[in-house]
Amino acid sequence: MIITNNDWVLDKYKDSFNVIYIDGSFKDVLIAVRDKLHLGHELLTHPLGSSVKPSETPYKSIIITDNKKNLSINSIYMIENAIITYDKFSKDKLKFITDKIRDDLKLIDLTVLESALNIL
Amino acid sequence: MKLELGYIFIKDIQFSDVSKVENGTLYVNKEEVKALILEDQNFKSADVELAKPGESVRIMPVKDVIEPRVKVEGPGGIFPGMVNKVDTVGSGKTNVLKGAAVVTTGKIVGFQEGIIDMTGNGAQYSPFSMLNNLVLVCEPIDSLKQHEHEKALRFAGYKVALYLGELAKNLTPDEVEVFETPTLIEGLKKYPDLPRVAYVLMLQSQGLMHDTYVYGIDAKQSLTTMIYPTEIMDGAIVSGNCVSACDKNTTYHHLNNPVIHDLFAEHGKTLNFVGIIITNENVYLADKERSSNWSAKLAEYLGVDGVIVSEEGFGNPDTDLIMNCKKIESKGIKTVLITDEYAGRDGTSQSLADADVKADAVVSGGNANEVIQLPPMEKIIGHVEVADVIAGGFDGSLHKDGSITAELQVITGATNEMGFNKLSAR
Repeated sequence: MIITNNDWVLDKYKDSFNVIYIDGSFKDVLIAVRDKLHLGHELLTHPLGSSVKPSETPYKSIIITDNKKNLSINSIYMIENAIITYDKFSKDKLKFITDKIRDDLKLIDLTVLESALNIL
Repeated sequence: MKLELGYIFIKDIQFSDVSKVENGTLYVNKEEVKALILEDQNFKSADVELAKPGESVRIMPVKDVIEPRVKVEGPGGIFPGMVNKVDTVGSGKTNVLKGAAVVTTGKIVGFQEGIIDMTGNGAQYSPFSMLNNLVLVCEPIDSLKQHEHEKALRFAGYKVALYLGELAKNLTPDEVEVFETPTLIEGLKKYPDLPRVAYVLMLQSQGLMHDTYVYGIDAKQSLTTMIYPTEIMDGAIVSGNCVSACDKNTTYHHLNNPVIHDLFAEHGKTLNFVGIIITNENVYLADKERSSNWSAKLAEYLGVDGVIVSEEGFGNPDTDLIMNCKKIESKGIKTVLITDEYAGRDGTSQSLADADVKADAVVSGGNANEVIQLPPMEKIIGHVEVADVIAGGFDGSLHKDGSITAELQVITGATNEMGFNKLSAR
């Protein structure tokens, strides 16, 4: 299952994967993933799966298991650390992003996601 | 495997009709370099500029920094599997234009950081501020996709570095350093009482603009493996990583990896430097598990007493770092980690996105969130229009006089996780 706020990911994979589109921020994606993890889903990709920092991009796509099992403490630990890390960065400057930069950032997010999708 | 590195010290760089090295000055024929870049039809224009230590020059956005080198004796050529054939390098003789570098700049995507200031406060933070730089400013054709643009720029850098390196082929080095790695058995016989130490070199490998190549192979597609230290000195590992300016490893860093140099310096004295394990930093968590399993397995197989682990990049690589640490420590092998910190502007926040009690020996490359002031420069080389985006739009603010208030993370090489910088923390 892909949880994303990147419409490029939604458009490209909505027919081949279970995609949950979040109409919100990077943090909204992290929170949505966290909520799923508490229901027993497990992280498959790292929630900070790019070195493009939360201060530089508003887009995030994360893959978790479709199935629910017992609570994965490792996954919870990782998402909580990601949320703490996210909160450290100032997001003020994201408002300066132009449409061209938005497209670039969506592409980077998509590409990083696909580096994992290629082996799923 | 034995390599002699011959250093030709470069104290100045100038444009000239003929490219040559004479009395410590690197003379460059600008037109030849431009023609070399424009062999690639992905570029519609190219310019070449000089940036010397002390000049009021800001280079941005920097993509890669490459040291010119040339094989003088021995198999293969510099950057095997990329520009030269995929022969095994790392033995024989290699000449180095020490003090010179090729810097590539480019606006591959619209938000890129990566500043090198040649003077002022910012120059204290980048090792590249002290080099005589040949800066490539290449404009792609309009239809070029980001992937192709990144690749074209990377190869332009290699080609120009090899072109300059070739000028050193027949020169007598000012200084020669010899690096030799014996076989495991020879090393064990020679230094039976010294602690055996390996180096785990982590390579960024997460996709477009986050990639590293080993003998031409994208590191994300490789299992954790071993490499001789001197192969790296001949360019077996190159950087395609354009994000996280402060803590990425440029090709220059790989060629001059300070962990390798320091381990060689202590080899046979205080320790036995057994070899290098290279491992990737992928996005998929199962890859992280697999790669760190292999790091631990290879360290165990080598029978080492300790390893040094160096990280690359921000965020998810912290997880690879900690996985490597925990799994290697669980084999009874001591680890020392080299990383940098995102500890908030006041330095009080949690530094890494992951942690473990076994990570009890950690060297910091500095806090990338620290705020610094960069004075205005008389000249900007690269893509001036990006300056507003980098400096004003993201991690800092560009003031009317051209000065910048920014976090340290905008400076190329500022908090390098190989320790190729001046910052640390206690």
